[in-house]
Amino acid sequence: MSASSSSQAATTVTSVNDVSALFQNEKKYEELNIIGTGAYGTVYKARDLHNSGQIVAMKKVRVPLTEDGMPLSTVREIALLRQLEAHRHPNIVRLLDVCHGGQAMDREQLVLYLVFEHVEQDLDSYLSRAPGPLSQARIRCMSYDILSGIDFLHSHRIVHRDLKPHNLLVTSAGRVKVADFGLAKTYDTEMKLTSVVVTLWYRPPEVLLGVSYNTAVDVWSCACVLAQLHSRRALLPGAADTDQLHRIFRLIGRPPREQWPENVSVMIDSFPDYEPQDLADVIPGITPLALDLIKGMLVFEPSKRLTAMDCLEHPYFTEEPLM
Amino acid sequence: MPYWYYDKKDLQNTPSYREGIPNDTENRYRKEGARFIIDTGSKMDLGYNTVATGVVYFHRFYMFHSFRTFPRYITACCCLFLAGKVEETPKKCKDIIKVAKSLLTEQKFGTFGDDPKEEVMTLERILLQTIKFDLQVEHPYGYLLKYVKCLKGDKAKLQKMVQMAWTFVNDSLCTTLCLQWEPEVIAVALMFLAGKLSKFEVVDWNGRQPKHNAWWDMFVEDITMELLEDICHQVITELIGATRIGKIVSKINVGRSQCIKWIAL
Ligand SMILES: Nc1ncnc2c1ncn2[C@@H]1O[C@H](COP(=O)(O)OP(=O)(O)OP(=O)(O)O)[C@@H](O)[C@H]1O
Repeated sequence: MSASSSSQAATTVTSVNDVSALFQNEKKYEELNIIGTGAYGTVYKARDLHNSGQIVAMKKVRVPLTEDGMPLSTVREIALLRQLEAHRHPNIVRLLDVCHGGQAMDREQLVLYLVFEHVEQDLDSYLSRAPGPLSQARIRCMSYDILSGIDFLHSHRIVHRDLKPHNLLVTSAGRVKVADFGLAKTYDTEMKLTSVVVTLWYRPPEVLLGVSYNTAVDVWSCACVLAQLHSRRALLPGAADTDQLHRIFRLIGRPPREQWPENVSVMIDSFPDYEPQDLADVIPGITPLALDLIKGMLVFEPSKRLTAMDCLEHPYFTEEPLM
Repeated sequence: MPYWYYDKKDLQNTPSYREGIPNDTENRYRKEGARFIIDTGSKMDLGYNTVATGVVYFHRFYMFHSFRTFPRYITACCCLFLAGKVEETPKKCKDIIKVAKSLLTEQKFGTFGDDPKEEVMTLERILLQTIKFDLQVEHPYGYLLKYVKCLKGDKAKLQKMVQMAWTFVNDSLCTTLCLQWEPEVIAVALMFLAGKLSKFEVVDWNGRQPKHNAWWDMFVEDITMELLEDICHQVITELIGATRIGKIVSKINVGRSQCIKWIAL
């Protein structure tokens, strides 16, 4: 493969395509089993063969190649994910490695592997396995973890967009780490696996209505998750887009006309003029401060919602526990 | 997380060296590749950050691969191409190839093969794997600006010093310094060199504390004089190679003997 005829690299006309095969055989990870399949990729449990068999979680994402190779958005997103990792934030799942599976047969897509630390379970299974209600101290600690992780992402201008118990991992020590973020644009370009139903339960109204959104979407989703920590069941388990909106308005009331965004196809009048419910009735046993925090997050208008940073400074976290 | 710094022993025992390319030759290849990225980049109006990022990819790439397997000019093109995407100054691959063709001799462009674009596309994937998708790279430029803001003294002289340091950073891209030291350290060393050559001594700075002996103690811990001199020496050697030393002497108006003294550091 290397030219033996000449010592001058300039005359070594070796096709890059010939040598590329050399670098794809080296096996670094051994797939063990599938942990789960999301709408955009499959997560495998795997063994890091170069690292004394350490167990990792490997997310496989298919990236369509453009005429100019790797899509710009994917390159940018991975660059940012790698950069974030330098901060080693305690509430963000560690990204250990990024690699790809070499060239796909049809030359039109590349399989990317994002290698993460393996975390025992996600919040979904944690909650379903919990023998009884979580203690107030545990709920508060987990809430703080989640909001810290989200605040960190927001401070780096990353919107998670799909926060839900499935994407929140719980370590053996009971700490929460945020996973599955930062590839929104890559996902957008990719064909969705149609068989996977995307859960709407944590979606804020602006996403359901199809208007532009920002970091405030994650605060809404966080609120749904926080409520779920208290009651151990989903706050707004809608069955479809419209049903989800009905459930939201039944809880927080139908917004006044002037708050309804312009240029949306859904008419405000298609919803009854729901009165807001008392959140305390929906989440029995919740403490007043926790309630006040969640209320501040479940606000129709994104700009009026608390930010993740506001949340972290809320008395629920800063005042002495009253339990 | 990947670690991208090497000691001098590693820098001698590279994949190219192991395939029989002497260190001197490899250093020349590195310099030619870096210079080519700089020239192509400036011809395409790419900013200094994009160019510097491309050069750092290039140096890192050849810590894993040999110049014998991967001809330098096509790698250089690919590094600039990828850096353009990362720094959000994307250029079309075919445009980069066009500029490359205009800058290279026919023989050198021959290393791009029959389908240059396809070669660069394939190489992009190898490059990404090699640099482990660690795409965001910091450069000394930002640090120069940060440091100079804190230094006290004649504004014009400070300006001149930082400008000179800036050109030294450009020159440092042709060396393997980015494989040896963090950008903070390189920025300190080259500002120090610029200060010496422009005969400007920084005696006071904002945020000075009694424990500080020199201004850089405020920014980077444990920088020794030996280290500074070693870095300066590497850049000056590069300057001599580029026969730019004469220009510098005339530009900054220091005696040639002064310069030589510094070269002999
Ligand atoms: N680092 C990890 N360690 C252990 N399990 C993980 C890790 N990352 C993700 N998982 C689990 O893998 C499963 C699939 O995750 P993935 O993020 O692909 O899908 P999702 O979140 O269900 O859906 P979507 O891709 O639509 O967001 C989830 O159950 C998740 O909890």
